[in-house]
Order: sequence, then structure tokens, then C-alpha cells
Amino acid sequence: MTISGLGPHGERAAPPERVTLLPEDKAAAKARAFRVAVVLHTLESDWARQQLSGIVGVLGDCGTVVTHVIDCGFSPTEQVKALDGLMAQKPDAVISLPVANQEVALAHARLAEAGIKLILLDNAPTGLLPGTHYGTLVSADNFGLGLIAAEGLSPHLPKGAQVGLLGYTADFFATNEREIAFSQWMQTRRPDVTIRQEGFTRIEDAAPKTEALLAAHPDLAGLFVVWDTPALKSAEVLLRQKRPIPMATVDLGEQAAIGLAQGAPFAVIAAQQPYLQGVAAAQTTVLTLLGRLTPAWIALPGIVVTRENVVESFQRIWRTPAPQSVLKAVGLIS
Amino acid sequence: MAQDFTEISGLARGKGRPRVAETAAPSLVDLLNLIRADDPTTRHELERKSDLGRAVVSDRLTMLADLGLIDESELGTATGGRAPRLVRLAAKQGRVLVATLDQSALGVGVADLSGKLLTEHHEAFELTAPPQALAERLITLLRWSLDRQASPAGLWGISLSVPGTVPGSAGDFLTRTPAVLPAWEGFSLVEMLTRSFGAPVWMRSSVDTMTMGELHGGAGQGLGSMLFIKVGRRIGAGIVSEGRLFRGAQGATGLIGALPVHLGDRTGTLDALAGSDMILREGRLAAETGRSAFLADHLRRGGEITAIDVAQAAQMGDAACVDILTTSGRLIGQVVATLANTLNPEVIVLSGAIMQTNDIILAAVRETVYGASHPLVTRDLRIIRSQMGSSAGLVGAARVGAELLFAPSFLKDWVMQGSPLKHPDFTAFRAELDVAPPPPPLSPPPSRGAL
Repeated sequence: MTISGLGPHGERAAPPERVTLLPEDKAAAKARAFRVAVVLHTLESDWARQQLSGIVGVLGDCGTVVTHVIDCGFSPTEQVKALDGLMAQKPDAVISLPVANQEVALAHARLAEAGIKLILLDNAPTGLLPGTHYGTLVSADNFGLGLIAAEGLSPHLPKGAQVGLLGYTADFFATNEREIAFSQWMQTRRPDVTIRQEGFTRIEDAAPKTEALLAAHPDLAGLFVVWDTPALKSAEVLLRQKRPIPMATVDLGEQAAIGLAQGAPFAVIAAQQPYLQGVAAAQTTVLTLLGRLTPAWIALPGIVVTRENVVESFQRIWRTPAPQSVLKAVGLIS
Repeated sequence: MAQDFTEISGLARGKGRPRVAETAAPSLVDLLNLIRADDPTTRHELERKSDLGRAVVSDRLTMLADLGLIDESELGTATGGRAPRLVRLAAKQGRVLVATLDQSALGVGVADLSGKLLTEHHEAFELTAPPQALAERLITLLRWSLDRQASPAGLWGISLSVPGTVPGSAGDFLTRTPAVLPAWEGFSLVEMLTRSFGAPVWMRSSVDTMTMGELHGGAGQGLGSMLFIKVGRRIGAGIVSEGRLFRGAQGATGLIGALPVHLGDRTGTLDALAGSDMILREGRLAAETGRSAFLADHLRRGGEITAIDVAQAAQMGDAACVDILTTSGRLIGQVVATLANTLNPEVIVLSGAIMQTNDIILAAVRETVYGASHPLVTRDLRIIRSQMGSSAGLVGAARVGAELLFAPSFLKDWVMQGSPLKHPDFTAFRAELDVAPPPPPLSPPPSRGAL
């Protein structure tokens, strides 16, 4: 396993094997009948559904009940409200994906003060410490995902090209890492390339921000968007403006997989393994509740997905057959 | 917008009367530091603690508010009459950029003026790379971080944590780059940062900043005494006594890695016999000879072994790696026990990337210190692993930056102008840099916001 990035506190990543559950762990968890709540940024994306599937399945194996699954709609205010509301329910643990940094840090810290174990997904607000406020952060190697995107997009960029980078303006560990890594790779390996940057605050803003980027830099020869849902909005803009420039993004959602299989607009996708990340988060939660030591940061490597391996990557990541449209686009069925 | 009182004071001055700046500055410095020490406070508390009269406190607070240095917009809790106005440092007005330069990683962050870290990022970076590459990467990351955390008064200072002793204990900002590492001889990092960001630069050893970070944001919060041990290629100690970091005469405290220790019939420094270079060397040997099944497998698959791999293998139960780390932990424990018996700390905190990945060294240090110390020393002593990781260095650098910005000796010369960027020594230094020959060019700068 190669992990390129460092954790939110500079930690070296631990592999998910560190939180493997032994039969006696499962038996001990079943005997104690834990209750766990899950707080996610959204329940609308393929990524969130897969992550939840991994979490719920493993917790079910361990006799642990998932009492709440809360969709915060990317809103820090909603998340603070949800976490404060959960305090009264007194779950044994909360698995949460913090949607922002400073705005949600104190609400997460309050859980720890109330004796509720906290496992974080994807983001650790500045000031929260492993062992004090939360047990473990489970995430993809987001720095590695940014590197995969840059390396995959590079062959499609002519010498001296301008490449767009559509980032997320929220102070969010995962997207920050992808953005930093993409730029670092380009600067060190493709110094001829100039990065033109724009940021979106809400997914709905991705399309107008893409339009702004294209208007300001008409010669843009490529585009990286930090995850697939906004990337699809950007892709619609490119299609509308008849600008067939290659794109790179993170996460192999169904629509992104179709775009990749058709050879446009996606040249490469750096994929997370949300199901396995969910499994690791649930295993970590059980071990934390049993009082076992868990590492500060568990990271899973990203997967390079191109048109050539999109079908098997889809199966590997989503644990379901690839859509018919993908199979048709790559010529595996007629 | 903040008002500059030096000009007003000049105009309002009558013949023979001292400038307002000359009379007001000391009380402004005192009041501002009282506010920082007890944030938030009230006018009543300030009158009581400052020994200044009500009218003077009121006048000075108005000046500080006009300068944009304090905020009185919030009401406190009423205790009978009207709710008092809370007086706070206007911490969000300005920013302090912070960075940690470690042997194999670079960390950057942004803090507010109270020294609270607002955001951070860490990435792998080998400090053996040419200094120019380090400067480029550091400036790029700092600029990106600052763009994402803009503030009304902009950047006020840069505080760096570096892997070596920074000579001198004065709080002055730097006007040249100390040769912390051999490769930094003639390297003008401080000058480059000042030119790029137009803000004063301070520098402290990583042991100093991590100790400060642990004291103010980690296991040392609220404690009067603490011993902080950083384990890496070098092993160093940070000493906290009476709630303050002890820096000695030249800032060269806690260099325990240079102490001689014995391992069987071998004698060497603690760095050489217990540091991460030893762990790496012994780990490679264990892999090559097959003593470590875990590392041998890693090697066979083409992986390059690092000290972190050895530590992770030990945590996963590899017997050979457990032996390596236990040896390291016992040697460190012998030296730490001596310090513990000398200083009688409330807590000993072990830190460093190796410490984060396993509990073996911690266990060996505990065993050795408890076995070799006076019962009174160990009666309430806690020996723990830092939970802060490399964040300790950033949190501590932020704290150092905030303390030095508002240190009375520095503050007295800028408080009337409302910004340290207008400090006469700093404006003189910038003018000097403007006429000095420019350093060798860096790579073309990326577009704004790009990394």
C-alpha cells in the first residue's frame, strides 16, 4: 500500500488491516449491544451510499445498532444542530464527516466531552486531536488522489498549456489535499503548464464558476474538478459551449464512469474506495468502543481509473456490475 | 480602518509637552497584554489590574479600538446592574503564518493574532533537498494558505519551527537566516520570506515550538511543569517550568541527543544509538537477514524500508522490530529518568513520527523511568504519548508568533501605528532589502491561488 499524503496532524497513514476485527471482538461487541449514529455531509451521492453501506453492514455483523443516519446537506449549521441533537440521544459512538473546519469543530468536541466516542470520516477540523476528541480519522489518500488526477491528465495537455483547477472553497481536509497535490505534481513534473484556479462554495455554483473560468481563460486545455458531482456540472458547461477539453476528477460515480467509458469528457478518474472506507470506519468504531487502541489516521489508497479499466474498477469500487451504458461504450456488449 | 496615532499626536502636541505616543504607548502596551492574558475581560477588571484610573483606561481603550487592536462589541453577563462590555483582543484582524520544517515533512498553517491555529496542511518533503526548492515550496504553500484565510489587516508575522537550535533568546524578528542546518550556510530564507510576504519572520527550534504547542494546546494545558521529548533522527527535550518554556542563555536547552549512552560494549550518543537512523539501520538488517518476517516481505515486494515501517511492524507484533524499538526506548528512558529526577515534572510527553505509530517505545521509556527514579518523582508522574503529532509544532509556532508580536519590547514601538508592519526597525529592514541585490530567481510564480 502506498500512501502519498500525511494526515491532518502530519501523521503517517496506518493501513486498514490495523483494525481487522477478530471473532472475539465481534462476540464482545454483540454482548454489549452498542448504539451508533452516522452523520454525513449528504446521502445523495453514490460515494455516501457506498460508505454507509460499508458502515452499516459491518456494524450489523457486530450486533451494533445504527440508530440515526443524518444528512447535513453540506451545511455546517445543520451539522452543529444534528450533533447537539444527538447528545440527548446518548449514542455510544458517532461516525461523522465534518462538513467544514472551524464552524463545526466545537460541536464535535462537545461529543467527546459528553463521553460519546467519535470516529471521523475524511476531515478533521483544526484543533481536534486524536485520542482526546476523536478516536481515528478514516479517509482516502486524498493527496494521492490529486497526484493521480494530475498524472492522468498530463498526457492530454499540450506543451505550455493552461489547465483549470476548480476547487472547493470550504476549508476541508480532503479537497484541500487533492488541490494541493494536483498543483504540486504539475509544478514539479509539468512546469510548462499554467494553472488557472477558481473555487465553488456550493455544488450549484460549479457550473457558473466553470463558465467564469472558461471566459477568463479561453485557451484552457484541461480541467480538474476536486470531486465528481461538481465535475459533472462542469462537464455540462463544456458540452453546452462545445469545448471538448479533457477533464480529471475524483470518485467514480455512475455518470462519471459513463463519461470515462465514452472517452469524453473524462480522461482519468482518481477513485476512492468508499465501501472499504466504510468498512474500516465501522471496524474502527467497534474497536474504539471495546477500548482497543486504534491509529490516528487510517488511509486507503486511490485507484487510477481510465477507459481501459473502467468496467473492472466500477465492479471493484461499487461491488455491483457496471451499468449497461458503460459496457456498451467500451464495446463489451452491443 | 485602523487609525495611526503618531501623526495626530504630532499635530496635537503643544510646545514642550511630550508626544501622546511617548506617554500613551507604555499604558497601551500594558493594557493590551492584560487583555491578551485574560481574554475576554472588562473595563472594571482592567482598571483593577492596571492601576490606571478610570479615565485613562477609558481613553486608552478608545485608542486601542480606533487602532483596530481590540473589540468591545460583545456584552458579558450582568451581575445585578447593566451587563458589562467585554474587552477582547481583535484576534481576527490579522494573521500569522506558521510552518514546521522537519527532516521528512513540511507543515504550514494560518493562525489568528491570539495564536489560535485556524488551518493546517502537512506534506512529505525531504529537508536534504536543495534549500532553493524548500523556499519555493514553502512560499507556495504559505501563499495558498493565506489566500484561504484572508483577514482585514492582512499578515502580521511569520513564525517558523526548524529542526535545530536557533541561537539567541531575544524576541527580535530576524534580519538574516541562521545556519540551522549545514546546507543553510549563505541561504537567505528569512530575506526571501520577508520580501515575498512583507512581514517579520521569527524562528524557533522544533523542540521549542512543539513544547509550546503541547503546553498550550495539548497534554500540558494548565500544568506548571512538563518535560517534552521529541524522538526523531535527533532526540531533544523541551523543559517547562512554572508554566513557561525554559530557553537557557542561548536557546540551546534540551540537547539530550548529544549525551553519551552505553549499549552492551558500545558507547555512542543517544541520537546515534536510539534515534530513527538506528531504527532504520537495524530494521533493514532485520529484513535482509530474515529476522523480521514482516520487513523481509516488504523488501521482497520492492518496498523501501523506512523507520516508520519498522515502527508499524513492531506495532503489528513483529518480534525483531519490537526488539529494535524496545532498545531505543530503554536508552531514551535512561536519559529521561535523569531529567525527571532533576526536574520533577508533572507529565512527560513523548512525540515524533516514530512515537505516533507505535506504543513500544512508550512502554520501554515508562519501564525505565519508573524503575530509575525517586519514588517522590514518579508518585504522580504521567508518561504519555503526544496526541498532537506535527500539529504541536504549528500550534507552538503560532503561539510563539503571537507572543513575540505583542512582546512589550516590540509592541511599544508599533502600537501607536496599529500594525507591526509599521515598526520602525521593520520598515528600515524592508528598505534595506529593497536596495540589496535580489536573491537568485525562484521559478516563475504560479498564478494567484495556485500551488
